[in-house]
Amino acid sequence: MSRNVSFALTVGICMLLPFMVPQYSLTVLIEALIFGLFAMSLDLLVGYCRLYSFGHAAAYGLGAYSAALILTRLLLPLPIGIVLAVLVTTLVAVPVAWICTRSTGVSFAMLTLAFAQLGYAMLFRFRDITGGSDGIVGIPRPPGPLGMTWFQGKTGYYYLVLGCLIGSYLLCRAIVRSPFGAVLAGIRENEAKTIALGYNTRAYKIATVVLAHGFGALAGALYAAFAGFASPELFFWLVSGRVLIMVVVGGAGTLIGPVLGGVFFVFLEHELSEITDLWPLIFGSVFMTFVMFAPQGIWGILTRRSSPRAELPGAGNETSDAAA
Amino acid sequence: MSLGFILAQCLGALSQAAVLFFIACGLTLIFGIMRIINFAHGAIFMLGAYVGFTIVAVTGSFLLSLVLAPIVVGGLGMAFERVFLRHLYGRRDGGAYLLLTFGLAVVLSELIRMIWGAQPRASGIPDFLRGIVVILEQPFPLYRLFLIAAGLAAALAIWQFLERTRAGLLIRAVSQNAEMVHALGTDVALVRTAVFGLGCAMAALGGVLAAPLVTAFLGMGTTVVIDAFVIVIMGGMGSFLGSLIGSVLVGFVQVLGAYYFQDLALAFMYFLMLIVLVIRPGGLLGRED
Amino acid sequence: MPLLECKGLVRRFGALVAVDAVDMSLEAGRIRAVIGPNGAGKSTMFNLITSVLKPSAGEVIFAGENITGLPVHAVALKGIARTFQLCHVFPALTARENVRIAAQAREHQRWRFIGGRHVVTRSTAAADEALEHLRLTRLANVRAALLSHGDQRLLEVAMAIAQKPRLLMLDEPTQGLSLEETDRAVEVLKSMLGAGNLSVLLVEHDMEVVFKLAHDITVLHRGRVIADGSPAAVKANAAARSAYLGGTE
Repeated sequence: MSRNVSFALTVGICMLLPFMVPQYSLTVLIEALIFGLFAMSLDLLVGYCRLYSFGHAAAYGLGAYSAALILTRLLLPLPIGIVLAVLVTTLVAVPVAWICTRSTGVSFAMLTLAFAQLGYAMLFRFRDITGGSDGIVGIPRPPGPLGMTWFQGKTGYYYLVLGCLIGSYLLCRAIVRSPFGAVLAGIRENEAKTIALGYNTRAYKIATVVLAHGFGALAGALYAAFAGFASPELFFWLVSGRVLIMVVVGGAGTLIGPVLGGVFFVFLEHELSEITDLWPLIFGSVFMTFVMFAPQGIWGILTRRSSPRAELPGAGNETSDAAA
Repeated sequence: MSLGFILAQCLGALSQAAVLFFIACGLTLIFGIMRIINFAHGAIFMLGAYVGFTIVAVTGSFLLSLVLAPIVVGGLGMAFERVFLRHLYGRRDGGAYLLLTFGLAVVLSELIRMIWGAQPRASGIPDFLRGIVVILEQPFPLYRLFLIAAGLAAALAIWQFLERTRAGLLIRAVSQNAEMVHALGTDVALVRTAVFGLGCAMAALGGVLAAPLVTAFLGMGTTVVIDAFVIVIMGGMGSFLGSLIGSVLVGFVQVLGAYYFQDLALAFMYFLMLIVLVIRPGGLLGRED
Repeated sequence: MPLLECKGLVRRFGALVAVDAVDMSLEAGRIRAVIGPNGAGKSTMFNLITSVLKPSAGEVIFAGENITGLPVHAVALKGIARTFQLCHVFPALTARENVRIAAQAREHQRWRFIGGRHVVTRSTAAADEALEHLRLTRLANVRAALLSHGDQRLLEVAMAIAQKPRLLMLDEPTQGLSLEETDRAVEVLKSMLGAGNLSVLLVEHDMEVVFKLAHDITVLHRGRVIADGSPAAVKANAAARSAYLGGTE
């Protein structure tokens, strides 16, 4: 019960934050939450399926550019534009997932990287649509439906992002605890055995990749509408790298860990970049240290797990420390 | 389409193949010994290019950079293997290697940005290699011929090293059956460190050679590591000969792609990779079925 | 009609013929043991039947249906459950969860990613039943990686029976088991057979277990069937004795 209480408390505090912090911090906070969402989307792949994607920036970038195009060209209401962007990305993700899941391990990683690089290259190829290296600027936040405008201001937008994050988290948590989620655990622990039990693991992996892209696209779309522009850097491989680092350092396989990882990463980046130029180096080094000595990540350490997903939440397992 | 033109295109492809060979060869050797794909290999290629640039800037000698840069980067590679990679042997989860070498790629990229800045660095083609050679009435850059020669020389050297020397025999043995070699008294860990260093040195040499043509720029590693990976998969993981043949094949594909599909040249390469992986999806473990 | 029929199964690995024109049939409700010295092709046979390997030639017919070359998971869904020579469980998950995932495989709604509570409840009940059968209930909440080798093997058997298969294929199930654990396993198998609706194909080296359990025996040697019949017939078979029984024991 205490888990739910602390969760409710955290949500409560988050809801009060706009009144407690100055406006410029709110900007960083919104970015932090968006990145937390982005990191959590990758956790589905990395933490629950052990599929290491080096190209998750593609989900982010696609979501951002889709939202940018929909909002600037079609001027649909913001919430609808975001939903459509997510749908578009999810559709595109299906054939990509189909191809990438033909392999595992390094090959999967390379394929995902290749797709992200391809996306990056495509942005320059079709510069009439995408604006090339300038990207798309002046993304509006059109009101509606039903004349809603609360999300047009910064505080309102904060609540939008917070709502999306919490909603996505609850959804992901439900997915992970579902029968589907149990199969993912099986794939992670012993794929050969899972197949031998009668599961078409390829289909499950495709579904997970698509889901991860969906949530990643949501983060990207929220970012585009927040920043007001979408540029090619969103597809750059270092973005994929950063989010992967956040997941691993935060705690793969816990959902909460990567969210925290994303949030703190953005804050630290904000603080450290004013002090030193070295912060990306620091993050890379911290990452490598965690990979070697603490693969369960910060949240994994805090909740005393010796390996990701030590105990699967399920009908008979409520005695265990089942968190995310 | 004259014979001269075709020959020029072929030579262009071969010069491309030469650079790719330096990277792919190292990658496949490392895989043969350690059963891992060094994701940082592209970043190491990039590091070689930048280190080479600095050596030329400081000493003015291109030849010196050809010698020193691989040694420096190779040494760094060995240090990395000793300090970091070694910890991961025997881990059940192969993902750790992937993440660690990925982390290295990120760290190297950031280090390079920090030290050399975000702008591309060019030392240009050294004077004695500048110029055009006319072959069958077609002009062809001398430097590219030099690349082909360098690639051939390296391929020969590595081949002889693997086939004729005791160290080469040791390397081949370890890649076939590390345990046996260990039981026979060899320090396999040392061989691993040495081979990792050699692989990195080769990639760095590739970087030094490529830089005058493409300049040293951030991001040159990412594309190239994918290319090298495709080559290694095509040629057979751990196969030196395979990396040679694969490099030539990919070199031709890239030149053809650039000629016929200029704009989509990049996409062409990725489609090749998709095709290769779709046909051989087994990737690392290359399951028989 | 036999439940399982192998017709002329061949599997080559380059020049090596691991399985050479093997014919084998298993009648419903019976236990057949496949024995033979190491390298005889027993595990390869299993892999051919369950589609982990594709045969170079020949067919596998299950309940009248040609299942040769079907994807592995499809073969499992037809009603074939197997255990592996090297113990295959889900190490980081609890024993109960291991078996639950196995039981869940039969559920039509096993793909549910929202809701699906009823699926979880049903499969948990099936899992508890299987654990009970193998007297592993006290270990239900222990992570599989922490179990003893013997308990892990029994867990694997529990996972197999939780799939409610028509054909149970056990690859050296008693390897590494203590006497008590072996007896436990034999007991469970016998009781399940008694309940009907289960057939067993068994690779086994422990001759006592084989003669205690098996109705029929196939003897493999270098990929070929050299003897096939009741335990008594096989014991008397000279070729079988010299190839296998005579040399060992």
